[in-house]
Amino acid sequence: MVEATTSTLDGPHGPSLGARVAARQLSQRRAAYILLAPLLIFFGVSVLYPVFETIRLSFFEIKGLAPPKPVGLGNYVKLWNDENFLRALRVTFYWSFSATFFSVAIGWALAMACALKPKETMIFRVLIFAAYGVSEAVVGFIWLGIYRPDYGLLNGILGGLGLEHLQQAWLGNPATALTAVIVAYVWTQVGLPLMTCFASIQSIPRSYFEAAYIDGAKPISMMRHIVMPLSLPGVRVAIFINLLQSLKAFDLIYMLTGGGPVRTTETVGFFMFRESMLNFKLGYGAASTVVLLVAVLIVSTPLIAQRTRAVK
Amino acid sequence: MTLKTTFSASRRTMLGALVAGTILSPLGFHAAQAEVSGELVMLNWLAGAQADMMAALQADFVTKNPDVTFRNIVPTSSGDTRGGIRTVLLGGEQADLLINTWPAFRQELLDAGMILPVDEAWEANNWSELLSDGWKDLSSIDGVNYGVTYTFGDRSALWYRTDTIEKAGLTAPGTWEEFLAGFEKLNAAGVTPVSIPAKIWAHGEWFESTLLRVAGADFMAKLARHEVPWTSPEVVKTFELLGEMLNAGCCLDPNTMLASVWTDSADTTLLTGDTGYMLIGMWLNTRAKQEYKLTPGTDFNIVQFPALGMGFDNQSMVDAKEFNVLSTVKNIDAANAFMGYMLTADAAGIMAEYGLASPSSAVDPAIYDPVIQQAVNEVAKAEKVQFVLGDLLPGDLVHEYRIQIQKFLQDPSAETIAAAVQKIEDVANTSY
Repeated sequence: MVEATTSTLDGPHGPSLGARVAARQLSQRRAAYILLAPLLIFFGVSVLYPVFETIRLSFFEIKGLAPPKPVGLGNYVKLWNDENFLRALRVTFYWSFSATFFSVAIGWALAMACALKPKETMIFRVLIFAAYGVSEAVVGFIWLGIYRPDYGLLNGILGGLGLEHLQQAWLGNPATALTAVIVAYVWTQVGLPLMTCFASIQSIPRSYFEAAYIDGAKPISMMRHIVMPLSLPGVRVAIFINLLQSLKAFDLIYMLTGGGPVRTTETVGFFMFRESMLNFKLGYGAASTVVLLVAVLIVSTPLIAQRTRAVK
Repeated sequence: MTLKTTFSASRRTMLGALVAGTILSPLGFHAAQAEVSGELVMLNWLAGAQADMMAALQADFVTKNPDVTFRNIVPTSSGDTRGGIRTVLLGGEQADLLINTWPAFRQELLDAGMILPVDEAWEANNWSELLSDGWKDLSSIDGVNYGVTYTFGDRSALWYRTDTIEKAGLTAPGTWEEFLAGFEKLNAAGVTPVSIPAKIWAHGEWFESTLLRVAGADFMAKLARHEVPWTSPEVVKTFELLGEMLNAGCCLDPNTMLASVWTDSADTTLLTGDTGYMLIGMWLNTRAKQEYKLTPGTDFNIVQFPALGMGFDNQSMVDAKEFNVLSTVKNIDAANAFMGYMLTADAAGIMAEYGLASPSSAVDPAIYDPVIQQAVNEVAKAEKVQFVLGDLLPGDLVHEYRIQIQKFLQDPSAETIAAAVQKIEDVANTSY
C-alpha cells in the first residue's frame, strides 16, 4: 500500500508531501501498536482469555474432577430456576445499591465538611482513606470482634448505655445480618467517595465563591448552589466505582457470615464461590459468573461510553 | 455419585487390633522399610497444630531416612479444603502423596484416574499386621485398597469441663433422660447446658450423633448413598429428639448459635466453662492441650453421646485421615516407606503428643492421654463404626442439609421438620 501510494504521488524530487505525511502517519500508527503490544498481550492473557474461558465453561456440566459434559444453555436455564440464585440476585441488588448509596452519601458529606478546612482535615482524610486500602479479610476480623454476641464491642457499648434490650447476635440474626455486613462494608468504602468528591470540590474556581459572597450568599446557600452541583463529577465517579466494587463483593461476606444465616447474606459473588469452590460445579459457577459479568457491563458501559465521548 | 465406602468394623476386629498393639509395642515393632532417597512431594493441606504435627513426623522420618527430602504442596483453600485440592490437581501439580479425609472424595479421585491402589505395598510391607481389616475396608473401593489410614477420631464424644459439671452437681450423663434432666441444674448454676455452633457446619454433629443412636450405622450408610430418603421416619425422629433438647432449655438463643463457630464453643465449654457440653472431633484435644494448657482427663473429659435405648447405643461415629498415592507419583519407594513409617510406634508417639490417635496396632495405648485412651477404647469396643455423615455427602446436598438444620434451630416445630426433610430430599434427588 505504501509502495502504491509512493508510485502515484511521487514528484520529480522524490515522494510528494501527501505521501510523506501518509507514510509518517503509518509509521506512527505502527509505533503506537508496537508500544501498545505488551499491554494488549497482557490484557489478552489476563483478561480476555479468562473471560472467554469462563463463558466456554458455562456451557458445560462439570462435577468435581469428572470430565466436562456439554449442556448448551442448561446451566443458564438451571440458574433461572434456582431459587437460591434468584435470592442471591435480589440480595446482590439490595446490597449493591444500599452499600453504594451510603458509601457515596457519607463520603460526599464528609468531603464537603472537609472542604471547609482542607489543611486541618488532611489527617482525617488520610485515615478515612486508609480504611479503603485495608484488606477486607482484616476488616472482617475487626468487625467480627465488634459484632460478637458475647463480648463484642457493639453489644458492650449498648450494655454500657443501658440499652441491654438492643443487644443481640448481629451476624446470627437473619433480620440484621445483611445490614450488619453492609455497615462494615460501607466503613471500608467511604474513603474513595471522600477523595473523589473532595477533589471535585477543590477544583471549583474560588471566584465562584467570591462572587457568591459579594452577592450576599450564605454558607448553606453556597453549599447547595455551588458545591453540591459542581462536585457531581466526583460523585458520579464514586458511584461508578463503588457500585462495581459492591457487585463483586465477596471477602467481607465470607469473613463475617459465610453467606448465612440461612443464606440471608449470600450475594451472587458468594453463590459463585460456593458453587465453584465448595460444590466444585465449575460450569454452573461459571454461568453465574457470566450473569454477574453482564450486570457489571450494564452498569459500567454507559459511564465508560460517556467518558469516551468526553475525550473525543 | 456412588458412595461405596462405608466403614463398618466389628468389635472383635478392633479389639484384636488393640490387643495385638499391646503385645507388639514392647518389642519395638517397626514396619519393614527399604533404603529410600529423593524428594517426596506431599499435597498437604493440614493447618494449625495438625500441620505442626505433620512437620514433626516428616522431620522424624528424615532423621531415619537422611536421603529423603520433603516438599509440601499447600493448597489455598477456604471452607471445604477439597476445592483447593481439586484446583491444585486440575492445575497440573504433581505430587506423590495426598492427605485425604473424605471417603466420597477418594471415589471422585478414583473416577478421575488420579489415585493408585496400594494393595501391592500393603502386602509387601505386611501392613495388615499393623492395621486391622476394618481400616483396610475404610480405605477400599470395590475390594481394592486406595489408602493407608494414619489417624482417626471419635466423633460421638461430648466434651465437657469437669469442674463445670461438678459445679452443677452432676456426673457425665449415660442416657438421654439423664442428659436432659441435667439441663435444669446446669442452667441454675449459670451454665448453658449445650453449645451448638451453627454458623457454618458444626451443628451437623448434633444431628449425626443423634441419628446414629436413632437408626444406626447401616441406616446412615444408606442415607449417605441415598438408598433411603431423607423423609424417612428415622430422620424425622432425629429432628424431634433434637427439638426435645432445644425445648428443654439446652442452648442459647438461635441467633447466637447461628453466629458461632466451633472455636467459640470450644472457648465457652473448655476454657471459660460458660457452656456445659459440645460435640466435635478429636482435634479439640489438641486445642485444649496446646492452646488452653488444660490437662486431659483432669481439667476436661469426654463422654459418649447419651444412650437412647433404640438399639444402637453401642455404635460410634469416626473421622479418619489417610494417605492416597497419586497417579503422578514419582517416588513410590519413599511414598510407601513414609506410609509404613506412619504406622510405627514412633509416629504414633508424635501424634499422641499432639493429642491424636493412631489406628496402628503397633501402639501401646498407654502412651495416650486419658481422653484419647477413652476415645480409642470407645471406638474399639463399638459394635459398629460409621464414618461422619457430612463428609460422605455431595457438596450441594451437605450445604442444604446444614441450612435446613439452621432453620430447624430457629423453629423446632413439626412444620419446620416436615419442610426441612422434604427440602433435603429434593436436593438429594438432584445431587447423585
